Amino acid sequence: MMKEITVGIDCGSAACKGALLREGAVISFCVKPTGWSPKETARLVLAELLQQAAVDREDVYVVATGYGRVGIDIADRAVTEITCHALGAEYLLPGVRTVLDIGGQDVKVISVGDGKVLSFQMNDKCAAGTGRFLEMSAHRMGLDLTAFSALLETGKSCALSSMCAVFADSEIVSLLASGKSREEVAGGVVRSVVTRVVTLTGRVGVASPILLTGGLAGLNGLRIELERQLVHPVISLPLSRFAGAIGAAKVQGRR
Amino acid sequence: MIQKRTGLPEIFDSFAEARKNGFLAMKNIKDSGRGVVGQFCTYTPQEIFMAADLVSVGLCSTSDETIPEAEKVLPGNLCPLIKSSYGFAITDKCPYMYFSDLVVGETTCDGKIKMYELLGQEKNVHILELPKRQDTPEAKALWRAELVRLVERVEKDFGVTISEDRLREAIRKRNIERRLLKELYELSTMTPPPITGLRQLQILFGSQFKFDWDEKVAEIRGAIDSIRAAYETGERPVSEQAPRILVTGCPMGGVTEKVVKVIEEAGAVVVAFENCSGAKQMDRQCPEAGDPLTNIAEHYLQIGCAVMTPDRNRFELLDQLCDQFQVDGVVEMTLQACHSYAVEAHLIKAHLHSKGIPYLQLETDYGTADIGQLSTRAGAFVEML
Repeated sequence: MMKEITVGIDCGSAACKGALLREGAVISFCVKPTGWSPKETARLVLAELLQQAAVDREDVYVVATGYGRVGIDIADRAVTEITCHALGAEYLLPGVRTVLDIGGQDVKVISVGDGKVLSFQMNDKCAAGTGRFLEMSAHRMGLDLTAFSALLETGKSCALSSMCAVFADSEIVSLLASGKSREEVAGGVVRSVVTRVVTLTGRVGVASPILLTGGLAGLNGLRIELERQLVHPVISLPLSRFAGAIGAAKVQGRR
Repeated sequence: MIQKRTGLPEIFDSFAEARKNGFLAMKNIKDSGRGVVGQFCTYTPQEIFMAADLVSVGLCSTSDETIPEAEKVLPGNLCPLIKSSYGFAITDKCPYMYFSDLVVGETTCDGKIKMYELLGQEKNVHILELPKRQDTPEAKALWRAELVRLVERVEKDFGVTISEDRLREAIRKRNIERRLLKELYELSTMTPPPITGLRQLQILFGSQFKFDWDEKVAEIRGAIDSIRAAYETGERPVSEQAPRILVTGCPMGGVTEKVVKVIEEAGAVVVAFENCSGAKQMDRQCPEAGDPLTNIAEHYLQIGCAVMTPDRNRFELLDQLCDQFQVDGVVEMTLQACHSYAVEAHLIKAHLHSKGIPYLQLETDYGTADIGQLSTRAGAFVEML
């Protein structure tokens, strides 16, 4: 039986996002650090969503997505984050054609039509281009992601020669030691992340509108660099980071 | 004439039970006086060994167990099939490699050619020069000449004579085997298929390691009959709704079964294999009338593979299977650093897209660390069908 209230839980490597929809409209959302147990964190996220909306577990249909999806036993169904990001992006930006999802441990480029995945590319098994890489670089400079993001507003940049997170880490140290400013190095890090994403888009093709989703969607400097290298407008919305969770909540009734 | 190997390796006592049994089974064959020929490739004409009453066995390894040992010599960024096969040769851990009196390789890809040179320091190796073209008189003449050379090598090494009659008989028997295995995998043209892709692969792959021809043929016949009977009594191991997937690409078996598993766990079913374990070697029959060696040469040379240029026969077989098995999508498995298949993947993708067939390429190796990533990709692909 179709339920009118649905919950999507998108448990990524860094954060666990949840969204609750009633008759297809977002009622509440919630995010927590994934921590060591996606299963436990998903429980907490679901509990909070149910409490916010004042409904019971029996009244909702729950779909899990993200890398932790298989272990989430409170869900009625598990669906891959690629399908969910496409569905969620279509909800947030009807008519969306390309989704760039930059998450903690991987990067995905998804070509979308009517909310359906047409083709996709993902990079993984390597930190190049991921949120983890940005976060590590920020920490190297003694900053959190918010402070790092502020540095990007200056528009300064420099060239990083290495794509590899391990080598880039030592390169950042030498760049700072050689007198480059943190603003320049931050710009260089973002540029290298974007170069990696753009390489992936080459294998899928990009078409506007393009929506940026995932944990780094709020980093305006990243979005601007993406626009510069893709030569297309790139849109980020306040709920972009919940695209996977919203998409999961839209799965009910689909095959 | 060479001295056939019958003794067990020094490290035999350190093996686990299953591996010990594998070695003992091969030792039994060797003790009966039969010679063993190891081969790596679907292009190797098994009829020649059959005609000489030799046991022929596939040596393409499918596990990462010996890769660290191989990487002491071979570069890390090399195809896992090449590294692991070489690793088993130098560690004496594979009964088939260990008991092979002759190893036959072809000039298929660059990595294998050079690995065979190293292997030649450990084993009695014969290399066939496989042309890169399939349609010129020169290529056909070269390949037939190479098979004459192979016949001479086998006759010399094993002290036997390979007559035309024995070759004809071998073609006839191999054709029966091909026909049966084809009948078996064509059961999956039904909707829903009577077996999962994993079971199909395991039967096809396993048939390579049965060394008594009569028993092997009876076993395949038995498998076909029991699958049919179960289907007729209403057994349906696969849902009628499951999207039907064709698997293409590099040789598959052993640890790379993981690719079939992630596809089927995502709710689809693999109905056909356009690869070395599947249709490539079974789809066509070798002509029986006329000069047997010319027939064998022509039959094998026409196998489609990314080592050929242009590789029209692979595309043709792919098209035929997509129609015959009413395929909803194609998944190509490429092994890391297999340049031939990885580059051709682009042409395969474009070709299938022009026919409106969805395509996914999965690159993998002989490890198991990427199962999560494979299952996300395969899952998303099945969800989009």
